[in-house]
This record gives sequence, C-alpha cells and structure tokens, in this order.
Amino acid sequence: MTAFFVLVAALLACLPPGAVAQTVDTSDWVCEFCPFRTGHQADFEVGVGSVSDDSAYFDNASGLGEEGVIGIVDGSGGFSSDGQQVEWTLEDLGLDARFAELSGGRQGSYGYLLSYREIPQRKFITTDTIFERSGPGELSLPAGWVRAGSTGGFSALASSLRPRDIESDRSILGIGGRYSARSPFSAFANYRRQQHEGTTILGGASFSTSSLLPVSFDYTTDEVDLGVRYAMQNGFLSLAYYLSDFGSAGNAFSWENPFASIAGAESGQLAQPPDNRFQQLRFAGGFGSRATGSHLSFTAAAGRIDQDALLLPYTTNGSLDTALPRSALNGEVDTTNFAATFTTRAIDNARVKVSYRFDERDNKTPREVWSRVITDSFVSGDSEQNTPYSFQRLTLSMSADYDLLDALRLSGGWGRRTVDREFQEVANQTEDTGWGRIRWRFRQVLDIEARGGIAKRDIDRYSERVAVQMQQNPLLRKYNLAYRYREFAEIDIHASVPNRPVSLTINGFYADDSYSESQLGMVSGDDLRFTADLNWAISDRTSVYLSTGIEEISSEQLGSESFSTADWRANNDDDFLTYGAGLRFLDIGDSIDLHLDYTRSEGTSRIDMVTASGGPSRFPDLETTLDYLYARLAYRRSERLELAATLRYQRFAMDDWSLDDVGPATVPQVLTPGAEAYDDKVLVFGLSFIYRVGNAAGSNRN
Amino acid sequence: MPRLKQLPPWLARLVLPGLVLVWLLASDNAGSQTPDGDYSRKGADTCLACHEDAVTLAIFQTKHAVPGDARSPFGHGQLQCEACHGPGDEHSGRVRRGEDRPPIISFSDLYATDTSVENAMCLECHDDAIGLGWHAGMHSNDEVACADCHNSHAARDAVLQTATQAQVCYDCHQRQRTESLKAFNHPMLQGKMDCSSCHAVHDENVGTELVRQTVNDTCLQCHAEKRGPYLWEHAPVSEDCGLCHAPHGSNHPGMLTRRGPLLCQSCHSQSGHPSIPQDANGLPSGVPSQFLLGQNCMNCHSQSHGSNHPSGSKLMR
Repeated sequence: MTAFFVLVAALLACLPPGAVAQTVDTSDWVCEFCPFRTGHQADFEVGVGSVSDDSAYFDNASGLGEEGVIGIVDGSGGFSSDGQQVEWTLEDLGLDARFAELSGGRQGSYGYLLSYREIPQRKFITTDTIFERSGPGELSLPAGWVRAGSTGGFSALASSLRPRDIESDRSILGIGGRYSARSPFSAFANYRRQQHEGTTILGGASFSTSSLLPVSFDYTTDEVDLGVRYAMQNGFLSLAYYLSDFGSAGNAFSWENPFASIAGAESGQLAQPPDNRFQQLRFAGGFGSRATGSHLSFTAAAGRIDQDALLLPYTTNGSLDTALPRSALNGEVDTTNFAATFTTRAIDNARVKVSYRFDERDNKTPREVWSRVITDSFVSGDSEQNTPYSFQRLTLSMSADYDLLDALRLSGGWGRRTVDREFQEVANQTEDTGWGRIRWRFRQVLDIEARGGIAKRDIDRYSERVAVQMQQNPLLRKYNLAYRYREFAEIDIHASVPNRPVSLTINGFYADDSYSESQLGMVSGDDLRFTADLNWAISDRTSVYLSTGIEEISSEQLGSESFSTADWRANNDDDFLTYGAGLRFLDIGDSIDLHLDYTRSEGTSRIDMVTASGGPSRFPDLETTLDYLYARLAYRRSERLELAATLRYQRFAMDDWSLDDVGPATVPQVLTPGAEAYDDKVLVFGLSFIYRVGNAAGSNRN
Repeated sequence: MPRLKQLPPWLARLVLPGLVLVWLLASDNAGSQTPDGDYSRKGADTCLACHEDAVTLAIFQTKHAVPGDARSPFGHGQLQCEACHGPGDEHSGRVRRGEDRPPIISFSDLYATDTSVENAMCLECHDDAIGLGWHAGMHSNDEVACADCHNSHAARDAVLQTATQAQVCYDCHQRQRTESLKAFNHPMLQGKMDCSSCHAVHDENVGTELVRQTVNDTCLQCHAEKRGPYLWEHAPVSEDCGLCHAPHGSNHPGMLTRRGPLLCQSCHSQSGHPSIPQDANGLPSGVPSQFLLGQNCMNCHSQSHGSNHPSGSKLMR
C-alpha cells in the first residue's frame, strides 16, 4: 500500500489544479422564452380507499394488510426562487408504510435533506403462544400450566394459547447536508437513525426440546457519514468517516420452560445481539486523462468494530453457574480495504482494465477458555476456546476489449481471487477465472453479446484435523471452502425495429458448478435463467410491454448418517416463472390516463432424497404463487384538478410443508406458534383527487 | 542518485508501470471531446422556437435549469441546451426540402448518438463529481449511457426516486427483476427500498459497486445487530452474508438460498442429528421431526448469526 501512495503522490505532482474554460460568446443568449421554475409548485393527492381483507403478507412493507378504510395522502412539490430551492415529498401518509422528505438549499452552494420512512414487517396472519410477557425481556408460563415431557402432554395447551402478532416496525430518520462552494473543496455530513422494534420468533432450546418464542426486540442504529472532497481538473481526492453505532434495549431474553425440566432447567436465557460500533476512515481518489482515455480510481479504508457488552452468566440455573473468564468480551475487529482500478483507451480501438482489491477482517477479539452449560441443564465438562474468525481476500483482475470492426468487439479477461482464513478447514483458497466475450452490433437494430468462461477454485488443502476438532465428518467439504470447477455462459440479445420504438431484449444465463473433490456436502449445482422483455411505444401517449423470467436452480448434496462415506443424497430444485404485461394510455381524449400492470409469479421447490434407512422419498412441492394487478384511471378535469380511481388486486398463496398441518403440539419436542402458510388475498380500491398548485412548465412564447 | 537495482525490490517493480501510469494520466486534457461546430446565435431561444413540447420544457423544472447556479447549463454564461446537445447552429439552420436536418447530439434511444459522445457531454460537468468513480465501474466498461438510466428532462428523474428507481434498473437487470418477484424479498416491489440502498454505480468504492466496502458492510447498514463481533461466531456470517442469503430474492423464508435443514447440512456433518437425513417421513403425516418442521435446525440453534452468550458455542443461547 505504501508503494501505491508513492505513485499517487507522483501523479498529484503532475496534475494541474482545476479550471473551467469557456470561449463561446453567449452575451446574446437571454433565454427570454425559458420558463424557469419560480415560486411554489405542488401536487396533492388526497382520497379514501378500502382494503378487502386482513393480510400479513401484503401488510409487509406496504401497510395494506388490514381490512377497512384507508386514507390516501400523497404529494410532492417545491419552491424555487433566485437559486434557492425547497422540495418535498409525501408518500402513503395514510398507511403504516409512510415516507416524507424535505430537501433544499442553494444549488451549487449548499443543500440539506430531512427524511423519514416507516416500513412495517409482518409475518403470518395467525400465530398463537402460551407465553405471557412478565417483564422486559421475560416470558412466563400462564397460570395453571402443566409441564410435560412432550407437547402431547400439555394438558393446558388449548386453554392457554393466545394470539400474538409477529410483526415489527422499522423507522428511518435521515438528516443530511452538503456544502460545495466555488472552491475545489466540497463537504457532506449525513446522519441516519434506524429504529427497529417488534416481535420475532426465536427458538428457545431446553435439553432435548424447544419452544418457539415470541421474542421482543428494540434495536437502534445510528449512522454518521462525514466527508470532504477536493476536486482538480484531472481528478479528485476525498476523505470520509463512517460510524455505525448499534444498540439493543436489552442484552438478554429469558423464558420459562414449558417442558418438564431436566436437571432443574426450569428456565432459559438467550443473549440478545450485543451493542456494537463500527467506525471507518476512507481515503479515495481518481485521476484521469482525456487525451489518453486513462483513469485511475482508488479507495483505501481502515475500520474498527468493537463491542464491550457485559456477558451474561453461563446459566440461569444457579447450581451450575461458575465464574466467567472475563466480564465482557471486549471484541475488536480491524478492517482494511484497499482497491484500485486503472482503465485506459490509449491503444486505438482497445480498452484495458486492471483492478486490484484487498479486504481484510482481522478479528483481534481475545481468546479465552470457556465452560459451557448445556441448555441450563448440565456443565458440558469440555473447555472450549472461542474462535475469532479473520480473513484476507485479494482480488486481481484484468480485461481487455478490442473493436475488431466497427460493429464487432472481442473481449477477454482473467481474474484471481485468493482468500486466507484462520480457524477454518481451508487456510488458503485461490480461484482463477477466465472469460471471453464477443459483441456484435448491427446498426441500431441488433446487439448480440455472448460471454462464457470457466472458474477453478483450488485450495491448499482441506484440513481434516481442523474438521475433526469441530467433530465434523472428515470427508465433508463445505461448499464455500471446497474445490470447485465452474462453467458459465451468458447471452444478451437486444433487437429493435429500425426507426420504431419497438424493442425485444433477451437474456440467457447458465452456470454449472462441480465440487468434484467433495465426497460429502454439496457436489454439484446448476443455474439456468432466461428473461425476455418486449416493449412497444406505440405512440408518445401509448405503450405496452410484455415480460417473462424463468429460473431453474438445482443442486445435489451428499451426507452420511453412518458418519463414514456417503449414504444419503438430496436434490434441491428451485423453479421460478414470472410473466407480466402492462400498458399505458395517456391523454385519451386529452383528459384520461390509463395504467394497467399485471404480474404473476410461480415458485416451485422440490426436494428428493434417497437415504440408506428410508429409501427414496420426495417432499411435497413448496409452492408460492403471487398475482399482482394494478390499474389506475385518471381523469384530468382541468390543468389543476385530476380525479383518479386505483385498483390493486394482490394474491399470495403458499404450500409449505414446514408449516402446513403443524400446530403448536404437532411436533412432540417443539412447541410451535402454529403459524399457517400464507394464503392471502387483498383487493384495494381507492378514489382520490389530485390538485396542482403553481405553474407547470409551459413555453413563455405564448 | 540510486541505480535501479539499488532500489527496494517492491519499488523497483513499480518503476516501469508507474512511469507508464504517470504518462497516461498526466497527459494534458487538450483532447477534450467537446464536439466541433458553431453554436447557435441565441442559445435556448433558438431551440425553443421548435422544441416547445412538454417533455422538452420539463428541463426547466430540473436542476439543470437553475440560472442562480453558475455551473448549471442555464447558469450565467453557460451554453444552455447546447451544453448537453452540442453546437446547434447547423441543426437550427434552414434545411432544403427533402434534406434531413443535420443531427444534434441526442440522448434518445430512437435517434441515438454514440454512447461515448453522449457520456462525454455529461462528464464535461460531472467528471469531477462522479466521473472518475464511474470510470472504474462495470457500467462504464459496458458502455452504458448516462441517459440509459437518467432522464435529465424529467422534473423528477425516476432513477433518483426510491419508489421508481428499481424499475429503471430492471430495464437492463432483468434477472434481478425476476428475483424481485420471488416470495421473500427486500421491499423493492413495494417501492420502499431502492437499488442504490446497496449499490453505488458511480461512487468511489472501487471494484464492488456497493455503497460500502464489502457485501457485509453493506448489509450491516440496516442489519447492524448481526455485526458482532460475537463471542461465538458463525464463520460464514463473518465473511459473506451471500453464502446463505439471496439478497435479490428467494422462494424460501428469510431469503435463504435453500431450505433448512439441507442448507445447514451442506456444512454441518457432526455425528448425531446433523448428519442424519431429514426426509419426507418427518412430515406431520409420518413421524413429525423437530429437525425438519417449524424452523428446522433453528428450532434450537436459533442464534445462527452468532451468540454473545458464554454457553452459546452451539448457537443455542
């Protein structure tokens, strides 16, 4: 890295400061017909709507999940005067997924931004639990609960179940400013606070049983971005600081065990995510020469993550607790990132690109010997050392494009990625990728690009010693660490009708992964994807489109229940199909706009297994079906007033064997919330009027 | 003066490429790509004599048409329409019947100018702000035109609005659009999150096209609770969220790449339940399995992103 900065310093010495030359005489360019924006302008949309049904799936991120009446409140506008500008946006104020933003400033000098967004997240329309909140971070059993060794013995279950919504809300507040005076310097400062609060489902394990708990959480993340930038005629330099500070309202979550306790474990305690902080300093720059078409961009960043949250005791089972080796982890991770990319067109008809990137995660968290208490029931007796994972990742790539003919371009590239890791089975991994590409353009009618290549990921060795330390089968090869041979190919076709706004775009992609040196674990993977779009702008006011996408993703993995060589196999096949169509009719009779969009998506996941003990078996298909219809009819009553009718029909259905027919007591060892797979349908109808304030753009000639 | 072989080896290796680099980058900018030709006599007033449609006039609602900003195309002394469309004297002159009007730099698909010329016009002003980060990226390499994404005449450029940005990106990134329609996803379809929440196509994080330095740094902007460092880490979590999650969409809850327990069993083969196959006999119609139903492995190992509990080495606390 030192060498790089020497080089950058040499470049800096060669580069002149910025200057803008202007030689055209524009003294007669008075722009008298230019309808510049001045004063206030605003569009307000206000109305009412109805939602036909309750739906968790469609409540998610949209706020359209509760049956009843909704308010439609949207708007945008601004004010402009003598270079001062203010703009504002309001979206979905009548829903739980609302957004508001205010920005402004003096263009070319300074600016500011204030924004607020809420995003609801909802899961499952029906969930029930026996647990009662008895305090912050505490769940207790209902009065009269009768413990048993399995769910079948929960005699008070039916009478104790109460509905509990699994939902959360994320709110994001943003404040920012920038300053860009007429000097080479500019600066920015941004602050963002995200609050994420709600209830999720988390498994709370006891010795051989578990309860899926409605766990409350309350997270706050504060982010700060500060930076200054220096612009030159041939480049820029920037220095930036980033802070992300995370805090959780509690550091633990405890629950009373509904199952018959083993070794006195009548309750359990889960750790909540620890408060943590990430700070990073980034230095970046870019230099270019138009004369040679050459550009160098670089980034260097150094960061640190730290967390010093107080540790919980080994167990809430007082008879088993022992002293911790330290009261707080004092975890610390240093990150280093360095990257540079150089591109040049110094050779006629050619472009060369060289990229280098280095990422390091250096986990300096202290290692200690810990004595685990198994699910608050037993002292494990084994001493364990924590393994703070570190890695270094280095990527070098080169590519070249050469225009053999005006319409024919040949390209090729090579890349090497090495990863060094600590405490894992593979210490050093190298992946080489080679690819070639041909692109043919026939006038502005046809543009075809085909690309293909291979990638070979090699490892120094797969350490079975480390695997055995983790009690793994020594024949297993983790898919992110294993040897892998990949072939891939892609084709893009873009066709247009000459001088007509009709275009067809097709993309096909295929990748074939082979983990041929793996005896257990993932052994192969295929990825086939196809998309097509047809767009036709029939006129300035009318357009239609058709689109489709198909995916087939499959993989095969091997396992060993006898803890020796492979004796079971699983095949995963994920298929996905989506298609859609839409049209826009604008200015029908000079006053009506019509928008129509329809999309259908179908996902199917199949799992086939062959096992030594059970023979071949096939899971029921996991299926998802999503229909989405959107229609909007708007009637312009005048330049200022518009009436709109909006219809949204959404349906999402799912067959999921992990949920279907799984009630709270279906699994003897697991008390579940009895969530059902989604089968949601919502019809949303809205009537609104849009009122415009201020002047729209119009020629000053009239 | 030290001879070359007296230099430290690392420095000696850099001398030749360094000199080439300095020459390539420090060459003067006399070769500006500003197109040749005469400018019109009255600037925008000349253009507006013909182009007075709503689409054209919308430019006056944008940041490109702010007279108070000396650097805006309509700032004092600037080239107005011709700042972007190039010299327009010939284009605006008289044309004999039957002859085509001489073209001007166009950003429309229908009357496209060469991408390099289009982009050069934009970079005349935006080079110091975004251009040099842009040159390092994939879009520049693939000769994507600025106007393929941006509509400089729109009062509100769709690619700069969260609610509409993804649809612009999906015009080319069709595979990502397909993934966005899967059952479990970030709220792109609802217009509550945009591609630029994660991706930076002309920013300065060279070689990633991400808003932060790495995939994990990017994900942890919103999911900071998973940052740790935990006492008990889960190795893939520390390295790359994408090892288990499909960030553009998945058919599986949690945006996982595959279903548990098979996803977990790709890497966990310990003797006992991790290595035992969980087949369809474990469904409610057979012998309901705690390793398969509900949240499968996470029924017990619920702290899959790491645990800060002293007894959490198996990610159960």
